Amino acid sequence: MGVGATPAWLLAAEPALPPIGCSGRRRRGGALEKTLDGLAQVVRQALTSEEIAARPGLLQRLDGRAKLIGALILLLAVGLVRHIPVLAGLYLLTLVLAAGSRIGLRWFVKRVWLFIPLFTGVIVAPAMFSFITPGEVVLPLGRWFGHEVGLTRQGLTSAGLVVCRVATSISIVVLLALTTSWPRLLAALRALFVPRLLVLVLGMALRYIFVLLDSVSEMVAARRARTVATRRDGRGARAAAGFSGGALFGKAHSLSEEIHQAMLARGFRGEVRLLGRSRLRGADLIGLGVCLVLAALAVGGDRALGL
Amino acid sequence: MHIPDGYLSPATCAVAGAAMLPVLGVASARVERVVKERHAPLLALGAAYSFLVMMFNIPIPNGTTAHAVGAVLIAVLLGPWAAVVCVSVALVIQALFFGDGGVLALGANAFNMAFLMPFAGYGVYRLVARNTSLTSRRRALAAGIGGYVGLNVAALAAAIEFGLQPVLFHSSNGTPLYAPFHLAQTIPAMALAHLTIAGAAELLLTAGIVAYLQRANLPLLRINHPGVVDSDAELPPARARPALRWALIGIATMIVLSPLGLLAPGGAYGESAPVDLNLQQYGLSAIPSGLQHYNGFWKHSLLTDYGFASGRHASLGYVIAAAVGALAVGAGILLFVAIYRAFARRRPGIQAG
Repeated sequence: MGVGATPAWLLAAEPALPPIGCSGRRRRGGALEKTLDGLAQVVRQALTSEEIAARPGLLQRLDGRAKLIGALILLLAVGLVRHIPVLAGLYLLTLVLAAGSRIGLRWFVKRVWLFIPLFTGVIVAPAMFSFITPGEVVLPLGRWFGHEVGLTRQGLTSAGLVVCRVATSISIVVLLALTTSWPRLLAALRALFVPRLLVLVLGMALRYIFVLLDSVSEMVAARRARTVATRRDGRGARAAAGFSGGALFGKAHSLSEEIHQAMLARGFRGEVRLLGRSRLRGADLIGLGVCLVLAALAVGGDRALGL
Repeated sequence: MHIPDGYLSPATCAVAGAAMLPVLGVASARVERVVKERHAPLLALGAAYSFLVMMFNIPIPNGTTAHAVGAVLIAVLLGPWAAVVCVSVALVIQALFFGDGGVLALGANAFNMAFLMPFAGYGVYRLVARNTSLTSRRRALAAGIGGYVGLNVAALAAAIEFGLQPVLFHSSNGTPLYAPFHLAQTIPAMALAHLTIAGAAELLLTAGIVAYLQRANLPLLRINHPGVVDSDAELPPARARPALRWALIGIATMIVLSPLGLLAPGGAYGESAPVDLNLQQYGLSAIPSGLQHYNGFWKHSLLTDYGFASGRHASLGYVIAAAVGALAVGAGILLFVAIYRAFARRRPGIQAG
């Protein structure tokens, strides 16, 4: 082998190295993975709602203010209703609205109901039993120290009521969030007499969440790239959470200074100005009226069914 | 702890919202004065930060992970009023733009997590940190304990809001209309989750971030700590009174532990009533006349035998007797000290303690 020639080991066809890529076992459920998942979900949700808000559809055509106030009226009605059939009717209404707004029904139903068994179902399930909600036992499960134990009519009704109400409420809010672009939703908040300063802070926060989110994803991804240990290191991960949280606050603070200087450079003198309001159109008023009538019908019909 | 819509009655939401409105009003006015015209970007980034802090998953020593709320952290970094605004805005963004947490329940959620939590936690932080320097370990630990307490106060408030629902709102046949659990179930359930896992996450993250900033970015801690010296070396020498302090700590511990007496079986040795004495053991045939005469000659005690005269509610009576006794002894000592000082001032020869 002459001087300067390529060393033999470099020419070897198959170096004794593991293939590049993920060869080790990946542990699921670590803190870093969960953090990354959560961050990715925020971005995914934001992108989805932006995409759906741009589709031509029933709710997309309405003004943000009309939708926000209409949603609040319907939420209040859902809160006041006390019968499962009425709640089911209101839930069907949200499905109709979703279909009319060109939101995939399967996706919409999944988005709402995936959340419900996880949280509401598990929390409410014990309430069906007689030891939490006493009453008329409809499905006896045995005796316990001389008392009859089982599912009670009152418990089952109560659990059904809460599950239906949570599902309908979430559907209404998700419809509002999906069919309204964020700047319009922000402008709509002004119509609810939310102070200008708060609306300004909200808008800026919404914008900079994504800037900071990029920083966090990069920090977490970099941390994961540097981690070679297969053993889970709780102490190290906790320290890393402290470091990244502290570093993130530093970034947020210096960013706020820069934003302030940029605002001053553009002539900001402490007065908050927001985009001018547009007039409500006939369709918006009709939509608002429909919401009011439906809410009144639901609550009225519910009271007619008895307390 | 984000309460979704449907668990709380509209009336509860209205009450919580009405309670939150003046808090937000005062908070924006206070913040405007404290952080001047820079407030808008600082608050906005604080809100964005608060939103993202809820994404950090912290491994808990038991092997699981949980995420923190971070309200006390923001209170330590930017002040409690700024925390009210930042966390409220983060909650609005979650509820309205991401459909996470209720919209009608926003008032209740904000009251628990954006008002009670930062204020309770910040109070504990100030209490524990006292006048230590900015870089002392105690300050980081104080922030962590503040986070732990704040989170548990917020969880307790949420448990009370849940637990009141079946009492206040049920149909004629007893069907609960909203959250179905009673206070006796909601409070232990929430306490169990938040005293252990969620509380640990809050403590670890809050203390971890403050400890990091102490080492890496002290100017950020100075935003909300004007006039606090940087290191322990710069502290003015404290008035050393360790003996008195330790005595007070010992007495306070004994007062706190006094309900343990309820668990102790049997009676106190050598304090039996004459009728309970085993006379044969002492070689006596009758109760000595002097003992008989003087026993029970004072019949005007307020809490006879550490309980009420009626003999009912024995445990409550015991605790009240302990509290009254401790207060009476404390008042007696203070009175003695006051008299001693008054005399000492009059006679210049004696140095006042």
